[in-house]
Amino acid sequence: MVEGGRETNRTGSVMTVTVKSFATFREVMEMQIVLPFPEGATVRTLLADLTSRFDRLDEQLFAAPGTLRDFVNILKNGRNIDFLAGLETSLEDGDVIALFPPLAGG
Amino acid sequence: MDGYAGNMVFVDLSAGTVAIQPTPLDLKREYLGGRGFGIRLLTDLVDPQTEPLSEKNAVIFASGPLTGTGIPLGSRYEVSTISPLTGTASSANSGGVFGWKMKKAGFDAVVVTGRSAKPVYLLLDNGKAELRDAAHLWGKTTGQTTDAIVEELGDKTVRVSCIGPSGEKLVRFACIINEKTRAAGRGGMGAVLGFKNLKAIAARGDRPIEVADEARLDVVKERVRAKIQENGIEQALHNYGTAVLVNIINENYVLPTRNFQTARFPNAENVSGETIAKTILKRPKGCYACIVQCGRVHEFDGEAGEGPEYEPDWAFGPDCGIDDLKAVVRANNICNEYGLDAISAPATIACLMEMVEKGYVDHPIRFGDAAGMLALVKQIATREGIGDELAEGSYRFAEKYGHPELSMSSKKQELPAYDPRGIQGYGLATATSVRGGDHVYGYMISPEVLGAPEKLDPYVTEGKAQWVKTFQDLTAAIDASGMCLFTSFALDAQDYADLIATTTGMPIDTTELLRIGERIWNLQKLFNIKRGFGRSDDTLPARLLNEPLQEGAPKGQVWRRDEMLDEYYALRGWDTDGIPTREKVEELGLA
Ligand code: SF4
Repeated sequence: MVEGGRETNRTGSVMTVTVKSFATFREVMEMQIVLPFPEGATVRTLLADLTSRFDRLDEQLFAAPGTLRDFVNILKNGRNIDFLAGLETSLEDGDVIALFPPLAGG
Repeated sequence: MDGYAGNMVFVDLSAGTVAIQPTPLDLKREYLGGRGFGIRLLTDLVDPQTEPLSEKNAVIFASGPLTGTGIPLGSRYEVSTISPLTGTASSANSGGVFGWKMKKAGFDAVVVTGRSAKPVYLLLDNGKAELRDAAHLWGKTTGQTTDAIVEELGDKTVRVSCIGPSGEKLVRFACIINEKTRAAGRGGMGAVLGFKNLKAIAARGDRPIEVADEARLDVVKERVRAKIQENGIEQALHNYGTAVLVNIINENYVLPTRNFQTARFPNAENVSGETIAKTILKRPKGCYACIVQCGRVHEFDGEAGEGPEYEPDWAFGPDCGIDDLKAVVRANNICNEYGLDAISAPATIACLMEMVEKGYVDHPIRFGDAAGMLALVKQIATREGIGDELAEGSYRFAEKYGHPELSMSSKKQELPAYDPRGIQGYGLATATSVRGGDHVYGYMISPEVLGAPEKLDPYVTEGKAQWVKTFQDLTAAIDASGMCLFTSFALDAQDYADLIATTTGMPIDTTELLRIGERIWNLQKLFNIKRGFGRSDDTLPARLLNEPLQEGAPKGQVWRRDEMLDEYYALRGWDTDGIPTREKVEELGLA
């Protein structure tokens, strides 16, 4: 577990977001990490923060800058961000973001 | 020179005779093999009014033209019969090596009818077939049976597909196991063999399997090999096995828990594919010619075996409120040894647990009781004590105690590991599945949860009917071809068509491929209709239609059958009762 340092934005409000990783993502980042974000942060902000913390995550998440790899799934509180606002999906205090690399079974 | 072995063997157990016939060209052309052969031969040979556990039922083992040709993941065979669990024309698919060995022994299909007066097994032996005494094998587990046959033939190259004690005891969801751990799992195929006193089929041989256009096939083979190897999904299957689904399904709030009372299991991590990889996994293992190797060889505390796959992992785990991975694995191993379907057995136990919780049945078992669960698996496997009643399946059990609504099944077959309330198209696929509650007759989880081949919103019903139809038809064709369904995460219809066309020399394009699948689907459907199935059977337990999910993103949702079923029937060319129209029947050559 990594606890990110608390930061405040100009209005002083801070949100706390829990990020969980699964499968091969666990080889390149923490299994669970709680991070603070300023109000207005989005999933894009969150991923930028994560890739700056974990070197090898970027290539596993993105096919090209701003384009997620095929079959990568990101859930916000159980809902795929593709059916919210994609990378622009806004974060709210207490959100749980789950990151899944390509996977399947059956 | 068309990928086929060339012959089929007809076994009349009542007469004790075998007859070998060439595999007919029109059967190949219209049904490919596998499930296609099975359903065509079954519906030709058996009167629709036949009791599943009767002399008149038939069982067909069939491989496909791509089985055993060295095409990556071309490993499958399929067993078709009238299911004693559902009463539908049903089939179950298995991998491993046996399907390839059947062809090396010279046979595309084994068609079993009648009933033997005493236990026998069938030996497929390099172009010949013979029935042999199996009195000494009766009562043995699948592992013991396999070892005994290999030993008595003195031949380590022989491969065995057999039943365990559960098939002999006519457990309605007994399965067939090849190479000790690979299962033709669903629908009670093992009980039909048990009734027929056919303990096993053993196969050996070194007949060549020749293809129509080797040079062109090699090119297509390389293309599909690269696609599979580069596909991230297939890589995850190798690393974590199918149980890698536990967490993603749970995080989507659609992991059925405690007999579908909720859809999220707080301790899912303990039975996840990641945990399996970290704790008990010894090595990955694959079927014949597999470059993915999703199988898991495990070892711990003196226990050694394979699995668990996602479905049994879920069913013995979260569905029973259990997070003890070792207990889950032991239970799964018992299923392999005794020859029990490792979805229906645990799902039936989960049903009992809820019946007890609600006070409808008096029994010490509770959700979360791993030791009690393990004891029940053995009791079901041998029909001891309450196991005798549970061996009838959750529907008959729950109905007997006045609460059939607590059986989480469709057409009396227990539902797999996904809550349809949060995955609408999957709900339609499983409700309309012609073999009853199911996930592999049209795997809508792929687009609706995993995002392959594209992401579909799981909460939306619009457009799902068309997806379900296409997936069901394509899957029927893949099953008929002999390919493992897991290729479908990487390959498309064009790839399959090219593989089949170059292997067989038959003019199969994508349109024709889907038409073959549709033909198989409709033939199964028509037979079911003659057996009394109708629109009211194309549904799911009332709980899933009426009781909204309570947690997470899909909170408040139910499965919305009415928004999809009419459209699905219309797209299929069926009337509003779900009966194929005359035009559709004629179009598919089924008139
Ligand atoms: S992907 Fe898994 S089930 Fe399919 S052929 Fe390979 S090992 Fe067998």
